[in-house]
Amino acid sequence: MNEPVISVRNLQVEFVTRRATLRAIDGVSFDIARGEVLGVVGESGAGKSVTGAAIIGLIEPPGRISGGEIVLNGRRIDNLPPDEMRKIRGRKVAMIFQDPLTSLNPLFRVGEQLIETIRTHLPMNERQARNRAIELLTEVGIPAPEKRIDGYPHEFSGGMRQRVVIALALCAEPDFIVADEPTTALDVSVQAQIISLIKKLGRERGMAVMLVTHDMGVIAETADRVAVMYAGRIAEIGPVRDVVQRPLHPYAKGLMGAIPTLEASASRLVQIPGSMPRLSSIPTGCAFNPRCSEVFARCHVDRPAPLPVNGRRVACHLYDQTSAEIFSAEASR
Amino acid sequence: MNPRPYVEVTDLKKVFDVSKPWLNRVLEQSPKQYLKAVDGVSFDIKKGETFALVGESGSGKSTVAKMVVGLLGVSGGEVTIDGVSMTDKNQAAQRAKLRRRMQMIFQDPFASLNPRWRVDRIIAEPIRAFSVVEGEAEIVARVGELLTLVGLHPDDGRKFPHEFSGGQRQRVAIARALASNSDFIVCDEPTSALDVSVQAQILNLMRDLQEKFGLTYLFISHNLAVVRHMATRIGVMYLGRLVEVSEAKDMFTNPRHPYTRMLLDAVPDLAMSGRQRIPVAGEIPNPITPPSGCTFHPRCPLANERCVVEAPRSIDGVACHAVVEGRKLVIPAAA
Amino acid sequence: MSDLAKPAPVEAPAKLKITFKERVALWRDSDLWLSFKSSPVAIVSATVTLLIVILALMANVLAPQNAFDPVALNLLDGFSHPMERGAGSGMLFIMGSDEQGRDLFSALFYGTRLSLVVGLASVVFSMVVGIGLGLMAGYLGGRIEMLIMRVADIQLSFPAILIALLIFGVARSLIPPQQYETTAVIVIIVAIGLSNWAQYARTVRASTMVERNKEYVQAARLMGVSGFGIMARHVLPNVMGPVLVIATINLALAIIEEATLSFLGVGLPITQPSLGTLIRSGQKFLLSGEWWILFFPAMMLVILALAINLLGDWLRDALNPKLR
Repeated sequence: MNEPVISVRNLQVEFVTRRATLRAIDGVSFDIARGEVLGVVGESGAGKSVTGAAIIGLIEPPGRISGGEIVLNGRRIDNLPPDEMRKIRGRKVAMIFQDPLTSLNPLFRVGEQLIETIRTHLPMNERQARNRAIELLTEVGIPAPEKRIDGYPHEFSGGMRQRVVIALALCAEPDFIVADEPTTALDVSVQAQIISLIKKLGRERGMAVMLVTHDMGVIAETADRVAVMYAGRIAEIGPVRDVVQRPLHPYAKGLMGAIPTLEASASRLVQIPGSMPRLSSIPTGCAFNPRCSEVFARCHVDRPAPLPVNGRRVACHLYDQTSAEIFSAEASR
Repeated sequence: MNPRPYVEVTDLKKVFDVSKPWLNRVLEQSPKQYLKAVDGVSFDIKKGETFALVGESGSGKSTVAKMVVGLLGVSGGEVTIDGVSMTDKNQAAQRAKLRRRMQMIFQDPFASLNPRWRVDRIIAEPIRAFSVVEGEAEIVARVGELLTLVGLHPDDGRKFPHEFSGGQRQRVAIARALASNSDFIVCDEPTSALDVSVQAQILNLMRDLQEKFGLTYLFISHNLAVVRHMATRIGVMYLGRLVEVSEAKDMFTNPRHPYTRMLLDAVPDLAMSGRQRIPVAGEIPNPITPPSGCTFHPRCPLANERCVVEAPRSIDGVACHAVVEGRKLVIPAAA
Repeated sequence: MSDLAKPAPVEAPAKLKITFKERVALWRDSDLWLSFKSSPVAIVSATVTLLIVILALMANVLAPQNAFDPVALNLLDGFSHPMERGAGSGMLFIMGSDEQGRDLFSALFYGTRLSLVVGLASVVFSMVVGIGLGLMAGYLGGRIEMLIMRVADIQLSFPAILIALLIFGVARSLIPPQQYETTAVIVIIVAIGLSNWAQYARTVRASTMVERNKEYVQAARLMGVSGFGIMARHVLPNVMGPVLVIATINLALAIIEEATLSFLGVGLPITQPSLGTLIRSGQKFLLSGEWWILFFPAMMLVILALAINLLGDWLRDALNPKLR
């Protein structure tokens, strides 16, 4: 059985503010294998970007990793001193951010930025690095790379810029990439191109990819597995086809029903009442209980642990044998 | 006999002067540059229906919306709402009366409400501006009604916008849009900045309100799935031109223009049906120097020599030579 | 056609006005107050400033002597040392007396009051001019903006003192000599005010340009609100933040500017002395040993300016959203 490239166990991230300590991530666990794309989906405030930032080591005070561990290729990286982490960042783990406009330094040519990153992590001279950069640009689909390598970021269109950002992330041959909303700022037609590029690269290079997004459609196209996050916890995690077409967790069900599709529409979209709780007021028990249509007594008291159901893990009491009996007993009363 | 459409847009044009400052032009010997944001757009909206304008960035859909309500001046063409011209200088008085009946909902829920005003004052502004109701107590009551109508509590009026979430702010914006008893509402990407579950709430609310009050919507969006859910008729824009206008159900089952087809294919497939798709080609060209003839030809799988030279006219709701000539696309068999 | 049908009876509409008590409670909870409480510098400088202001305002009541009524002075009291009784009237001169027997302690009260009044008034004047012009430049754009900004640029390339001197000179030539004294305060307020408006205009213009493109302004335009209405009611409250910071720091500068002008002899006349005129007259005697005539007004000026500056510094950091 292959060792997963990245393994996150019970991760906890807290933010200490004047008024209270907020737990942005509360017990998140997942693995990503080589060549696999894990989609992390959730709405604003669910904690998906914080998860990505924690893995890369970009959590700044007042935030901190307060529990759990992150293991990359068998080595713990969540408790490394800053310079050790810096060596890992870029070389073993890379990140692609949402806005290609701000991810690239507008004052430097694209080639300069690529070459600088390559030479930081790999022992190459200027010419070798330049050739490598041209290879990378070709790999991400930039036409005429020998010419465009000397261009400035503003001379590229949005989709091309994002490809350059991806090339930048691949510079040092990382084992693991976090892509944080890589297609949100792009047009729909370009989005499709970038999605297939990410998929192809992940597969060809055997990298583990964590794709963070709020767009379920992108996940359906790109990911092999998906984790649905809610209020800093994982509600459901499993193969993408299963979770998207037959969601088990009530939140996941509501989410899938709320998304309009191109097929003939029902007259009303499924509406989950209320909104995601603020970090300062997460309900006890299951975080989703105030909004859940299938809530019962236990949900207000016990926080559900992720339970294995049909090849996935669902954090919901409905799938717990013991509580299922209580539920049906209540229902039949 | 067809009644006159409620909103008539005829050959609307908008040109922006994006030339560099005078000194630069003189030193670099470069000519003035113009951006044709909207290039001859025509469509109608019937009373009570939802007409959607769809397109990617640079398509000009937001510019069209702003010209329809009068936030932007037109460079050419006409807009008529309920018989009153928005462009004719002589009709300024009728336009002033018309203002009460049209409103706009914007994309950014954070910027569309004045952060220093309390919500009740924000909603009361159109009421006061158009003297819809007189007297403080009546205005207070009306604001409370509107808040309840959009799913908020009358007490919420005392709060500031930053105390609300994005979705709730959008509800406040909707309440403001309804405050003057308007019947034509232009919605510029109203849910693009919202989470999916919140989007569902807002879209449902908008449909309910439309049913209840007989509202007419001009709905701008880049999200085809949302448009599918909301619109009766849809117009697809590309680089300032309207390439196709169809009834909603027809457009999704039988897209005619190659760009429409490409847009539909590009939408991520949530149902994972593995449907046949044409791979998407290229990117939107620079609108300052658009391609000649049919602006879509560099990316069109059906383009021929005529498309490079001659811009197609809109016939029966589609502007495409290939459709007129009956050229069909052969989709490569799935690998 | 689409009048809102009355829905099912709504409960009595909630009152829209917020009571004073609620306002105070909201204020106490706000970030600004918390930041103030936790900054010793802010508390000290605010207290000092407040103290000085109160003392200055109550000059008539608190000062032992009306320092500028020639009748109250006794020449024999002249040059009394600090904490010495006057040779002529036997009054205790806490801070000593000047060559005419004027009690420096009392003079300080009156002088500070005038300095504060001139400082505040000129700041208000430059705010009104600067904000007004800045709003117009930012909102209306085009030629108006160019004109206003060019004037501001030109003005900013001159030291404020020179501009004030220029305006002062112009005023002198326009006003008949008999009225110099009565109009001196107004002239100097206008002079200092007009020398300082440009920075407000610049900041407000920049903020206005940002706000003008925001959707809430567009919504107001859709409703047919006039340009002036939008500027005054919608944009103005949103651009005031940086203005307050500039104003606080400018207050200190205005007070010093007034002192400088008076020191140079072109400010207030000796019959309406400010800290500057006191320093001017004290300067003559510094080297001959009567140090206190210069020392105390100068110290007061420094303390006042410092306190206001520190307050302004704290305010800028407290209002800066990025630092929170």
